[in-house]
Amino acid sequence: MTHRTGWIIALLLVGPALTGGAMAAAQDSQFGIRGLGTPGRWESVRSRSTGGAFGPFDPLSPLMEASLADVGQLTATAAGGTSNRDVLVRGTATSLRATRFPLMGVAGPVARRLAVSVGFTTYLDKSWDVTLRDSFMLRGVLQRYTDEITSDGSVADIRLAAASRLTRRIALGAGLHVLAGSTRMTAERQFDDSTFHRVQQSADARYDGLGVSGSVLIGLAPGLTIAGWARSDNRLRAKVADTTSAVTDLPLMAGGGVLFAPSPSARLGASVAWRSWSKAGAGAFDTWTWSAGAEFGSRRMPIRLGARGGQMPFGPGTEAPTEVAGSLGTGRAFAQGRALIDLGLERLERRGGGLTERVWTVLVGITVRP
Amino acid sequence: MIRRRLALVGAVLLVGACVERLTAPGQCPDYCPSGQITVVDTLLTTSINRDSSYRGYVLAYQAALMLAANLPGATDTLDGRPIFRINGYGARFRISTVDTSTGPILGADSARLQLYVVRRDTATHNLRLQLYRLPITIDTSTTFGAVAAPFTDSPLRTVNIDTLLAQPGRKDSVTGDSAVVDTVNHRVVLSLKLDTAAARYIATDSGTVAYGIRIAADTLASIAFGKDAFGPSLQWYLRVDSLGTPVARTPGALGARLASFVFAPPPAPLDSTLAVGGVPSARSLLRVAFPKVIRDSGQIIRATLFLVPAVAARGAPADSFVIEARSVFADFGAKSPIDLRLGDTTVIHVGATDTVKIEVTNLLQAWAADSTHPTILVLRPEREAQVFGEIRFYPSLAAAFRPTLQVTFVRRFPFGVP
Repeated sequence: MTHRTGWIIALLLVGPALTGGAMAAAQDSQFGIRGLGTPGRWESVRSRSTGGAFGPFDPLSPLMEASLADVGQLTATAAGGTSNRDVLVRGTATSLRATRFPLMGVAGPVARRLAVSVGFTTYLDKSWDVTLRDSFMLRGVLQRYTDEITSDGSVADIRLAAASRLTRRIALGAGLHVLAGSTRMTAERQFDDSTFHRVQQSADARYDGLGVSGSVLIGLAPGLTIAGWARSDNRLRAKVADTTSAVTDLPLMAGGGVLFAPSPSARLGASVAWRSWSKAGAGAFDTWTWSAGAEFGSRRMPIRLGARGGQMPFGPGTEAPTEVAGSLGTGRAFAQGRALIDLGLERLERRGGGLTERVWTVLVGITVRP
Repeated sequence: MIRRRLALVGAVLLVGACVERLTAPGQCPDYCPSGQITVVDTLLTTSINRDSSYRGYVLAYQAALMLAANLPGATDTLDGRPIFRINGYGARFRISTVDTSTGPILGADSARLQLYVVRRDTATHNLRLQLYRLPITIDTSTTFGAVAAPFTDSPLRTVNIDTLLAQPGRKDSVTGDSAVVDTVNHRVVLSLKLDTAAARYIATDSGTVAYGIRIAADTLASIAFGKDAFGPSLQWYLRVDSLGTPVARTPGALGARLASFVFAPPPAPLDSTLAVGGVPSARSLLRVAFPKVIRDSGQIIRATLFLVPAVAARGAPADSFVIEARSVFADFGAKSPIDLRLGDTTVIHVGATDTVKIEVTNLLQAWAADSTHPTILVLRPEREAQVFGEIRFYPSLAAAFRPTLQVTFVRRFPFGVP
């Protein structure tokens, strides 16, 4: 297969995202209902299995661009995950389940010192379904009703990125981000008294925004690399029926990481990130997140594990909800390394405002190097 | 084999994994969307104007039923009398089935009259039916007064329906009458035997006969007879002259060519009130100024039309009747074509003076969906001229009792707002 043919196939894989025809989504959370949504995780299955610690150094994770400089050959990747989520709030427990495809992308070198990538990931997941049982006085009678308000969709981050290794020690990268997505929203009310007709309203909300990012990788010593990145998005504009219904400022973000490979069969990493989500308005908080992880064994079939923690950007009250997670995973290379399957398992717990979420997530990633 | 099984297990797991379950109880306000469904309830007291009533849509002879009643009231008696005419075979009848030779009809040995009672009150006791001979000149314009005299003659037959129904096999071996009760449709089919005197076949009248019916009962004497397929029919048993020899012939039964009813007292003339029902049937038109705020920005979930009776509903006490509210395709006053696609109904109880409520949600939703639709309500009986019942409501001119609309609607949900 020629280099050009490989690019065509890879672009066909991510084409739907570029035209807005794909729906990407990450892990839902009840904390995102009141806010803009649940921010996505810009990590491949490999990075996520290490708690996200390898994200800044993984060319297939759309967190940083500079790592693309080491992609070496044309590579396409996609990830999917199924989450089983238990939500406990005020003595009520609910089990939820969702399957998402949060990542798809293609990357490859286009010149001796230049690699590019195009793909999408989830910026905000906005899928939820809330039912509510209540009553109020109407026409002099206490009327009981059941509300169901749903949102189904997400905002995708479509990224065009380029990176160059300037020297053996330094690589730089930059990216342009187009935020696009839509949600199908419905609001229904069913009165117990059937003389009141069912309330049924729906609308499609479309979202758009723009962002830029930059990153750097610096090799301090053999086997020791540090990374830094920053990103700025302008605003998220919501339109319903071609009328702007909301404009929300989006956060500045910055982060960094360190990767230490003491031997070819052991890699240790850690990363940290800050996001100024409080710009999004009331009920939003700036967040810090951290992660640490390791990968052992050959690249043909490694073992990965990691942990992460930090804050969620949206929640009730005056303090940001927190989350902590542990993960492990592995991978398997086939066809002389031209195809890879990554598997991951994550256990996550979020707490805040009287709500606790416990999530099991099974992740599957496929990477092809044609 | 193992690969196939693994593939099958994988496919099942994949399908299972794709099942979404996102519905969770809302814990508001912390874990609910900021937007809420907002319900507004408003009473439109002055939105109905230019209302008016018209009578004459369905006349007695056009009604699907023949009404019979004998209901003494405080001031007068509601007296309804079915009348019908059955044309005969003419002066001659075929002698044989193998040729076309005919002979003069000498007369009738007897006849059997079949009547369908399609509505009756089972609480009515001692229900009696009297059959009278009427002039064969009765027609669609015949009035109660025009046939008052024949109804004072001796009846041809008197039948006590309750007694007949109580007979073994519902057959009276003395009179030859019988009855069949349709338990599904609750119809009673009466078969009355008319002897030679009652069943006069007058050749000069071509055998045409006309009859009228009066009823009586201990109380609540109000029933309805069927028409057309369930209308009166007469089976003649004729004597025909065959070369000087009288022979018996039994032709096919004949149905009524005219079936109507007359009644007294006539309906009161229309006045400023909004009349609905009666015979001939009356309808009322209510023109509604439909507020734009409701039409454009909300979803109507309930709309109720309130009407205050100006007088107690009239009619046979046992015959509560249904009135319906419908919309029209265009406003041509009395001749406005009615939109039959949507309608809302309510039951009117005779004698009641309570405020009448009609749920008109469907109609107002249709108006909200189609801004070109005339916002006019037509009130009419669901079955026009099939009951004597009539009700009159206060019009919009009566400020204190005018028709009003109560509308409950939901404002547009604030979609897209975080």
